[in-house]
Amino acid sequence: MLYKILKKENYTDFVEKLISEYEFIGPKKKDKVFHDFVPIKDLRELDTDYKKTTIAPAKKLLFPPTEELVEYEVGDVIKVKPLVESSEKILFGIDACDINGMNFMDWIFSTEFIDENYFAKRRKLIVIGKDREPSETCFALSMGAEYAKDGFDIFLTELEDRYFLRIATSKGNEITEKFARIQDATDSDFRDYDKFMDDYRSKFKLKINIDNFYDDFEFIYSNEKYWEEASKNCYSCGSCNLVCPTCFCFNVKDDMQLNLKVGNKMREWDSCMIPEYGLVAGGHNFRPTKENRLKQRYRCKLKTFVDKYGKYACVGCGRCIEACLAKINIVEDVNSVKKEVSA
Amino acid sequence: MSKPKVGIFGFTGCGGCQLEILNLENYILDLVGAIDIVHFTEAITEHSDNYDIALVEGAITTKHGVERIEKIGNIAKIIVAIGSCACNGGLNCLKDLYGLEKAKELVYGDKKDWIGSIEVKPVDAYVKVDYYARGCPANRFEIVDIIKALIVGKKPEIPNYPVCVECKRNGNTCVYELGMTCMGPVIRAGCNSRCPNSGAGCDGCRGPIDDPNINAEKDLLAEYGLTVEDIMQQFSLYNAYRGKGIKQKIM
Repeated sequence: MLYKILKKENYTDFVEKLISEYEFIGPKKKDKVFHDFVPIKDLRELDTDYKKTTIAPAKKLLFPPTEELVEYEVGDVIKVKPLVESSEKILFGIDACDINGMNFMDWIFSTEFIDENYFAKRRKLIVIGKDREPSETCFALSMGAEYAKDGFDIFLTELEDRYFLRIATSKGNEITEKFARIQDATDSDFRDYDKFMDDYRSKFKLKINIDNFYDDFEFIYSNEKYWEEASKNCYSCGSCNLVCPTCFCFNVKDDMQLNLKVGNKMREWDSCMIPEYGLVAGGHNFRPTKENRLKQRYRCKLKTFVDKYGKYACVGCGRCIEACLAKINIVEDVNSVKKEVSA
Repeated sequence: MSKPKVGIFGFTGCGGCQLEILNLENYILDLVGAIDIVHFTEAITEHSDNYDIALVEGAITTKHGVERIEKIGNIAKIIVAIGSCACNGGLNCLKDLYGLEKAKELVYGDKKDWIGSIEVKPVDAYVKVDYYARGCPANRFEIVDIIKALIVGKKPEIPNYPVCVECKRNGNTCVYELGMTCMGPVIRAGCNSRCPNSGAGCDGCRGPIDDPNINAEKDLLAEYGLTVEDIMQQFSLYNAYRGKGIKQKIM
């Protein structure tokens, strides 16, 4: 890791150069509610101080909502052609919690197999992170995801009159050498950075009692009343999964053309909260009720992954809380388990 | 099934769903290459009573309509209802909210007895419907997907999840967050969330999912100051026929 300083008066020049030199993706105001990671052509469109999380997490750039995987032609010989799309891009203005979400995706798509469609894009994505104020529903501090140790090329932290740069890769070094007027960080810069991080951490007001949840989950596992109450207003609409930076489930569909010779296989974001997710051939559904499905979602994120891989499948970004029309709130639900167990 | 014989029939409705098939434009030659169209009310004059698949548009609103749909039911091996009117009765059902006699009087005055109008019902009130291509108008690509699935002998994949799924895939800001109301959380997807994509709430043209959380929707809309009457009115635009049962549940 290299530590550098970029003076504020040189920030605009640096970002403008990146916008003109690269395909540049950054947060832009979408409407009165949300920002979204979209291509930026002009510095004035870029707004890195978004108050709510972006509408979709950055996973949409690497694992698009719908994506063609292979093209095929059926005949005397069956021809199959993989469709792998990628181009070099900069992703600018992603916060630490979302970088940790992306790190989770990097890990999931390389643990049991290498997902070429994902990694073709990931390898060419230059990530420039930047801190921003945690949103109201963010509980990343409790999940240990408020700070990014890796997964970026450059990370900018705004101090009073300058940016503290953490440069994690040779690509990041190349870019700053070429496009930014930087200098080495001094002891006083490090002291100010530490002070900033202390302040920053104190801004995470929402806390989830995650520490004992792993054990406590067993107490509520068969408590039907708890699950009925928690999922009472659930629409089974999957919004919580679909906005989640760590939900990786997808459904593969076959789309054959009317000539019945040529077609493609595509994947689309799936959700464990919709009834068809647990439906198998023969008509049996493993999770027929909304109670079953909510239990599955919490269990997958906060217990199964700990069992299998020693980590949570949640970075605490709070998008699921924002997106739920039924006001189902993972923080309240987990914290209420704690109370039930101690009562 | 190799090159099936298909009849495309129109009942009471605007004819827009048959038009959607004609609107396939670039795909229409592939379509007539894959199936043999022996009847197409809106597009061809030839007619044959020898068909395997019937695509039926429109609601059944007259005694004559009942006879016609029953005949189609006797001939076709597979019936696909296309569009809101055929699937759920559609807009036509608004007539019945007045009461049949009152509606006839309003429209036809002292000639009302000349009109053989009956209570509006969807196609499946008279014959077994195998598949539904819902929507107002029906999504033409979904009609094609159903036909392709039938030709290769697969079960067509029709979503049974709410419109919210497609809104999230499309990166839409929730219509509720924009200060409007939307039936999307209880209405079946498959339209690619076309109304919310344009910033409008879902009017429910594809009808409810199999197991809608009606109580949650009632709570949600009440939060936005709407009463059960308001909700039913919004829901009834396309779903007055199916809405009767739902109304009993929430009133």
